[in-house]
Amino acid sequence: MSKVSEGRGAWFLKHAYLWAMLALIFLPFYVMLVVSFKDNTQFYNRTWAPTWPLHWGNWLEAWDTVGVYIANSVFLAVTATLITLVAAVLASYVFGRYRVPFGDLFWAGLIVLMLMPGVANLIPLFNLMKRLTLLNSLLGLSVVTAAGGQVFCLYVLRNFIEDMPKEFFECARIDGASHLQQVIHVVIPQCGGIISALAIMQFVGAWNSFILPLITIRDTELLPLAVGLYRLQGAYVKQWGPLMAAYFISAVPLVILFAFTMRFFIRGISEGAIKG
Amino acid sequence: MARERVRFSQIKRYWPLYAMVVPTLVLVGLFMYWPAVSGVWHSFYRWDGDEVATYTGLQNYGRAFTDPKFGYAFVVVGILFVASLFKMIPSIVTAVVIHRITSDKARYLYRLLFVVPMVIPWMVVLLIWKFFYNPIVGLLNSVLNTTHLMDVLVWANAWLVKAGIVDSAAFVANKSPAWLGDPDLVLPALIFWGFPWIGIIGVLIYLSGLEKIPRSVYECAELDGVGWFRKFLYIELPLIATQVRINLVLMIIGVLKGYGLILVLLGDDGGPAGRGLVPGLYMYYNAFIRREAGYACAMGILLFFLILALTVINNKLVRVEK
Repeated sequence: MSKVSEGRGAWFLKHAYLWAMLALIFLPFYVMLVVSFKDNTQFYNRTWAPTWPLHWGNWLEAWDTVGVYIANSVFLAVTATLITLVAAVLASYVFGRYRVPFGDLFWAGLIVLMLMPGVANLIPLFNLMKRLTLLNSLLGLSVVTAAGGQVFCLYVLRNFIEDMPKEFFECARIDGASHLQQVIHVVIPQCGGIISALAIMQFVGAWNSFILPLITIRDTELLPLAVGLYRLQGAYVKQWGPLMAAYFISAVPLVILFAFTMRFFIRGISEGAIKG
Repeated sequence: MARERVRFSQIKRYWPLYAMVVPTLVLVGLFMYWPAVSGVWHSFYRWDGDEVATYTGLQNYGRAFTDPKFGYAFVVVGILFVASLFKMIPSIVTAVVIHRITSDKARYLYRLLFVVPMVIPWMVVLLIWKFFYNPIVGLLNSVLNTTHLMDVLVWANAWLVKAGIVDSAAFVANKSPAWLGDPDLVLPALIFWGFPWIGIIGVLIYLSGLEKIPRSVYECAELDGVGWFRKFLYIELPLIATQVRINLVLMIIGVLKGYGLILVLLGDDGGPAGRGLVPGLYMYYNAFIRREAGYACAMGILLFFLILALTVINNKLVRVEK
């Protein structure tokens, strides 16, 4: 790292800048927390400062409404991430190590798909899901989400596997490992960092997915989080306190996820970026 | 590593390989290739998105070229794109500042702190911004009022009207501006959205590029008495040029394809007087509200070619010398 002599002024400026930015970035947390304890009178009188008494009931009320959305989103994100990564790891092992017939054609097609605006094929996709009776079903939604995640994961993972030393695979093969065993015992341990970073990105992506669930899920009790919250804020009479409590609660699952995986995530992004 | 060639005739020996590609092939083929092909196919039809489809040749494309709303959508997306170029700066600056913090511990701590807001779901961020923009209870208006910046805006607006540069007043004394409800304020609101525009993934990517700078380079610069800005210009910026380019490509694609943000903030018709209409949203509107799916598909194909062209140009023009 740069060990550069720095003046006190420079030191102060750098830290002041970072803290100012952090304050702005963390502002939504403050807003959610402060407003979540207000009833509507307190809200309209003093919106931005804490007020007493605190209305803890808002949180219970919020949990009653968003609890089911969170459960749906957890299911959606977990299944979609699993399907995406299992399929992508297997396929990128093949594409990274072998030249299969039509492989290059398939690959070129993938790159083109990345540029395709989602809406252009949203309507045909909707029709297809209707015919396969995947509409209004969380599992159907997660399969389609997993398909959408394939492109990016394949792209990243294939590059990683291609750059792995051939000797790893040769040794495994001499020991009599099948292809599947090579994936499990060579690829997964070696690419663990990037696989977990991809998993987190897929999870967060599915957690935030909005347009697809908006058009495919009808029943209120099946709505994932983003659409559920969108509908909630569209309600005519707004109860701001419970609404903000609901927003706050909906961040909790990701807090738990990041608490355990932050380290992999930061490292994975850095590794991935070096590959470019 | 050179890849081994597998021929189709060796299928008996290599069948497990084929089996391993099947899940991906099925997923991508069924849910991505097929809808894409079907979209291209239907762009030549008048189609209600369901059963009825009549062949109309290139009519949809002709209509797209003469549709003033579609043209306007590209103006909006152009403005948003230029704004996004500037909005890339804070991430770069933040990464460089974190990089220049001398203590290893503090650097790690800052990195961690900047990642934390990622836990807020995207939808919640949007809805909170919508709340900030609220004319009566919103934070933005109260900040502007307490700091008296509002008076400055009112004064500047009145001056611009008098000078004949703009013809309507968006800021009037003693009136709360409706950021998402006033046609003249929709675009500024869409640009200001997400202030201070720090994308943590971008910051992490830049940081990983910066960390490759050897210490000796800094020491040389120090000896030569190079100032902080020139250090940035000649040492740091060239080293993250690749990453900046990757982010630029991702941003172009994102801005052109994206419309979820505007759908949430302004509704499916692009807000007051359709001022926030972008191509993606106009396609969505045609497909799901007006039920003109064939037309929407045609617009999608046009957009695809535009994105393709821009990506190619970007790869050609913004060459990074190593």
